[in-house]
Amino acid sequence: MFPIRFRRAALAALIATCTFGAEAQSTLSEASALSMLPVAVSVAAPVMILSAGAVLTVVAVEATSAGTIWVLERASDGARASVRLGARAAEGLSMAAGTALAVTAISTGWVLSAASQAIAFVPNEIGAALLYNERVTR
Amino acid sequence: MRPRLRRALAVALLAAAGAVQAGRSCEARPPSAIAVERSLTLAQHTAARLSASGAQVVVLARAGQNLSEYGLRYSHLGLAYRDGDGPTAVWRVVHKLNACGSAQASVYRQGLGEFFLDDLYRYEAAIVVLQPDVQMRLLPALRDNARLARLHTPAYSMVAYPWGVRYQQSNQWAIETLASAQDPAASTRDRAQAWLRLQGYEPTTLHLSALKRLGARVTAANVAFDDHPNEKRFSDHIETVTVDSVFEWLNRSALGGPVQVIR
Repeated sequence: MFPIRFRRAALAALIATCTFGAEAQSTLSEASALSMLPVAVSVAAPVMILSAGAVLTVVAVEATSAGTIWVLERASDGARASVRLGARAAEGLSMAAGTALAVTAISTGWVLSAASQAIAFVPNEIGAALLYNERVTR
Repeated sequence: MRPRLRRALAVALLAAAGAVQAGRSCEARPPSAIAVERSLTLAQHTAARLSASGAQVVVLARAGQNLSEYGLRYSHLGLAYRDGDGPTAVWRVVHKLNACGSAQASVYRQGLGEFFLDDLYRYEAAIVVLQPDVQMRLLPALRDNARLARLHTPAYSMVAYPWGVRYQQSNQWAIETLASAQDPAASTRDRAQAWLRLQGYEPTTLHLSALKRLGARVTAANVAFDDHPNEKRFSDHIETVTVDSVFEWLNRSALGGPVQVIR
């Protein structure tokens, strides 16, 4: 058994870790991880299938030099659309054919989500004006 | 050091190190659809408010963490400016980010969408409109990548000492860059800091116990205390640049206006 003082020191360290340590990942002067949400670069018609409440199924995922293309099919009538994501945007995102996606229409575009987690954003004109990403320093 | 104390310290270090692995918040975890909606709505509201303000340059902050324990409301700031003219003008933010808990950071130019597409604690933005002459001097610097890079130090510590140059946190980069744009003589970090002192900037003092400091240093690559003067560090006085201290200073010095909250 550890002496009391010893135990208390270890406990204090754990508490310190759990409170400040957790915040330390991104606080005060923070800096987040850059946004993990892939943004669609282009959507090939028919955009109409991105209506609110639609359920889409990923029928194909193609990696191209210009980025990743998802071919989506609307469950209700089989209408298809393809969404292209920038090469960097799709990094680290694995999307398997057969995945079901829900579409949420918002004032800035459409959020595609799987199991309530957003996996991509398709901006409309308002949304596009809000998005830009450039690394200024190396 | 007495053996018992030494042993306690070793266990404390191990305990802290063990907890890190479990506690990393840098996992590539997708946001919820509702969080995306709220973030982008906040970005849209902010864009509308900024356009209506007539300003060209503002200081823009977000609340990414609950810092109420330290008496702070906002966690991170950037310098936002109007890019372009007429109805097609958009707002961009230049700010410094470090990649996921690492000790290296870079400067980015982003849209308001990206700025708020973060794991926000409160869906609330705050802006301070700078005085017209301050804006006028800052605007060309914000459009110029070379000027944005001039006072950037990649070595990052979340609690960097405001009057040192070993590390640089993101709010510190922003106010040093603001300083260098106001006075051509503020061409190095040392000189920019001298300008900030002259203008009456006062950092926030965080009271972090030794164990907290120890835990934070061990668990996070992006936290260091070795740039702080010993007498302050060992009396639990950790000074750093916070959004709240910058806002208070801008208002007090009349370099900027009051804080405006956007939701």
